[in-house]
Amino acid sequence: MDSNNISPKYGVIGAGSFGIAVANLLAQNGDVLLYVRSEDQKSEINTKHTLKSYSMDERVVATNDLKEIADECYLLFPILPSDNFVEMLEELAPYLRPSHVLIHGTKGLYTPKKITSDVSLKKEEVYTMSELITIKTGVLRVGCLAGPNLASELAENQPAATVIASSFNEVIEMGQQALKSSRFQVYGSNELLGVELAGVLKNYIAIASGMLTGLGYGENARALLITRGMAELIFIAKALGASEKAFLGLAGIGDLIATCNSPKSRNYRVGLMLAEGKKLDEIIESIGEVAEGIKTLQIVRALQKYGYRAPLAEILYKIVYENLPIKKGIDFLMRFTADKDAEYIMS
Amino acid sequence: MDEHQKVKNRLDPVIPEIAEWPIYKLSQDKESFLSETISKTVDSLLESYDSADKLHSELKSVLYQEKNRLTKEPWKSDTPEERIFWSEIKRQILLSDKIEDDKKKYKTDKKILQSILDFYANEIVANFDIKKYSIARRALPFLFSRLMNASPGNKFRFLFNSKKTIYDKFNISGPIDHIRNLAKKGTVIVVPTHFSNIDSPTIGLVIDIIGLPAMTYGAGINLFTIGILSRWLNDLGAYKLDRRRKNKPYLELLKNYSTVAITRGAHSLFFPGGTRSRSGQIEKKLKLGLLGTALEAQRQNLLSFQEDTAKKIYIVPVVLNYHFVIEAASLIDQHLSYEGKEQFIAERNDFSTSYKLLKLIFKVITANPGMTISFGNPMDVVGNEVNFEGNSINNIGQAVSIKDYFTRNGVMTEDKQRDQVYTSILGDKIVKQFLTANTVLSSHLVSFVAFEMIQKEFKNLDLYQLLRVPVDEIEIDFEEFKVEFNIIKEKIIDLFAEGKLRLHDRIKGDNEDTINHGLKNLGVYHPSMPLVKNTNGNIITQDMKVLYFYHNRLLGYGLEQHFS
Repeated sequence: MDSNNISPKYGVIGAGSFGIAVANLLAQNGDVLLYVRSEDQKSEINTKHTLKSYSMDERVVATNDLKEIADECYLLFPILPSDNFVEMLEELAPYLRPSHVLIHGTKGLYTPKKITSDVSLKKEEVYTMSELITIKTGVLRVGCLAGPNLASELAENQPAATVIASSFNEVIEMGQQALKSSRFQVYGSNELLGVELAGVLKNYIAIASGMLTGLGYGENARALLITRGMAELIFIAKALGASEKAFLGLAGIGDLIATCNSPKSRNYRVGLMLAEGKKLDEIIESIGEVAEGIKTLQIVRALQKYGYRAPLAEILYKIVYENLPIKKGIDFLMRFTADKDAEYIMS
Repeated sequence: MDEHQKVKNRLDPVIPEIAEWPIYKLSQDKESFLSETISKTVDSLLESYDSADKLHSELKSVLYQEKNRLTKEPWKSDTPEERIFWSEIKRQILLSDKIEDDKKKYKTDKKILQSILDFYANEIVANFDIKKYSIARRALPFLFSRLMNASPGNKFRFLFNSKKTIYDKFNISGPIDHIRNLAKKGTVIVVPTHFSNIDSPTIGLVIDIIGLPAMTYGAGINLFTIGILSRWLNDLGAYKLDRRRKNKPYLELLKNYSTVAITRGAHSLFFPGGTRSRSGQIEKKLKLGLLGTALEAQRQNLLSFQEDTAKKIYIVPVVLNYHFVIEAASLIDQHLSYEGKEQFIAERNDFSTSYKLLKLIFKVITANPGMTISFGNPMDVVGNEVNFEGNSINNIGQAVSIKDYFTRNGVMTEDKQRDQVYTSILGDKIVKQFLTANTVLSSHLVSFVAFEMIQKEFKNLDLYQLLRVPVDEIEIDFEEFKVEFNIIKEKIIDLFAEGKLRLHDRIKGDNEDTINHGLKNLGVYHPSMPLVKNTNGNIITQDMKVLYFYHNRLLGYGLEQHFS
């Protein structure tokens, strides 16, 4: 692997729908080693080139061995739910060296504190996934992947674009080389924290958007939600130390538009089903994969106690966890004092 | 390895023969050293001027800035030769203006650039004279220890009195054996905090006491015009920096000077805060330019040698603390006028003559009951800890190879932007080490508690209003002071137990003893005392701003929130 002549090998950790989509994109530019947990999944990919309902590029080879993936690839893409992220990092860390580069595609936050209804969180107690990587492993060159990337559309090879953010230009370049293709544009940004937060925070807005659809509301209401939701996200992100810049790009407004309008988004479907009167437990079970928005909502609400103004998150939390009727919640938000429009870019 | 190893006497030199010291070798190889530095600088500059026009206009701008400097900001250090030199450069640039052929013009301009860099390099370059160094290393401790035994009222007896040695007053702590070992294995870069002009001689002397070879050090060119000092510094390996010069070729040359010196194994010293901390607070933000040269040098070492023979570079943070900083009043004034919306008039306090500087040294040393020099844990150039053997240990305890940080797909590559990010990571790690190595002095602790109490008393005032409250309206009840002091001292001791800071011996004892020791020693030589007891036994201040200055030394630990 010390030679530049052979084709590059990329590692993907996590075989959820987005992980699979990324593995297939990477396969257009090199060989791909995909880490899966179970032996069954491994043999399905390696013999039939499929996993569940997805078809896999033949250049994607599955493995159960984290050491193998670390030994074979310098560039790794961990793409798995934030709940499993720490555990994976701890298993992977012994095999990583400072020469590794990690670009994650996980749109979630982590806190070591147990989340209960009365917990409050300080800024220092909440970590993004790239922060987790630098704490739990010895890797310094980290980046993230964010943007309007609905996995099912990527799987159909529809045109799309993404953002890779990192403090290191080199990480962005490596990610661009690995991912770009004629159907897939890759933009770069040095605003790592901003891009990560944009990708993460938008998820609860997507839940709210699903609710609006469930209630039969139209596009005026959704446009209102998206723009005012964005103002709230920017407010939180600034309080957490990020700039608003990323929110005006693909990872911010781009992702917000995609997830707030698409039944393909898990978070959107959670909102939709809540509006249809389903209980949270049932919904989680029926969706199969985790909707990060639910956890993000809990974290944002817990952060709020330190003066982060997030009325939308507060109301959503009450709807999801405290049985506040959705209509009442929406009414409350509509009565919320109207401030100046787009105040976050006017200072 | 004892974290808090104390130095009680002079240690054997790590390299006994001065003729073997890297700094001496550098001085011996001056010519090849300078030509390497200059050619590196030419290369990197030409790379950034991608057209003949850009180079030409850069030369013009350098000339303009230099002419401006010589007429508008003249210093004593400016020599008549310099004027002649720049007139000649002007003549050459005017000639080049007339050349129409681009290639020819570029060639001529390259020559002009080369001669400017030659001129700069010869001005900057340090010398190292073994004889003079030997005299200085004998004279300085003698002078220091004699001065420290002088009692304020009796300025002449000090010469004949030698009860205390220098080691009684220099409180040196830290992993000294570890650092000494690293100086044998690789190249050491010492990065101290900076809040007084006395820092340079202090750290220079301490480096000699702990047996490290002399270090390359950049000193402001204005110091070189101060009589005795200029000859001293020049022959002790200090290179000259002119802070008025901001032009790109000059700054690039300085960086390369440092980089090449480090790649040639010269142990170096920089104050990473750039200048003295105006607020008294321990540096929070570092100047990354010079620090980056350590990283650059490490990468070059790895490129030119096999990994096992490439010299490794070690960063050693140091925190200096004194009970008394003579410049306190002018530093804090500068800080406030810079930060504040309110106008504080900053008085000039330049130690522009030998006499003034010697007077400063005299005052500081005689007045200081102790100077604390706390070495922090050594790190590699990306901020990893290094073990006794000099191997890098990362944040999760793995032994790692420094080379791996500079590879892309397994191959070493040069990437300036990557270097910048690493340097800023290193900067953050140094700042953290400053906080953990900081030794809390009794005087800093009393000023911290007193100022915070006053601030809470006048909680409706902002800082600038607070600093203007007439001092006779401020009085802290001693009993109340003791209560708050005890709370904060307990917190400090907790932090000490967690390894988050260090304590001076006088803080470990009885509280009242610590308070009295602090009050007695805090800024003893200021014309207005930052803290004194009045006739009622209560605490008052005569100078809020200076009190604020000493108080700031304990910012960064979140102690503010623990007051009752």
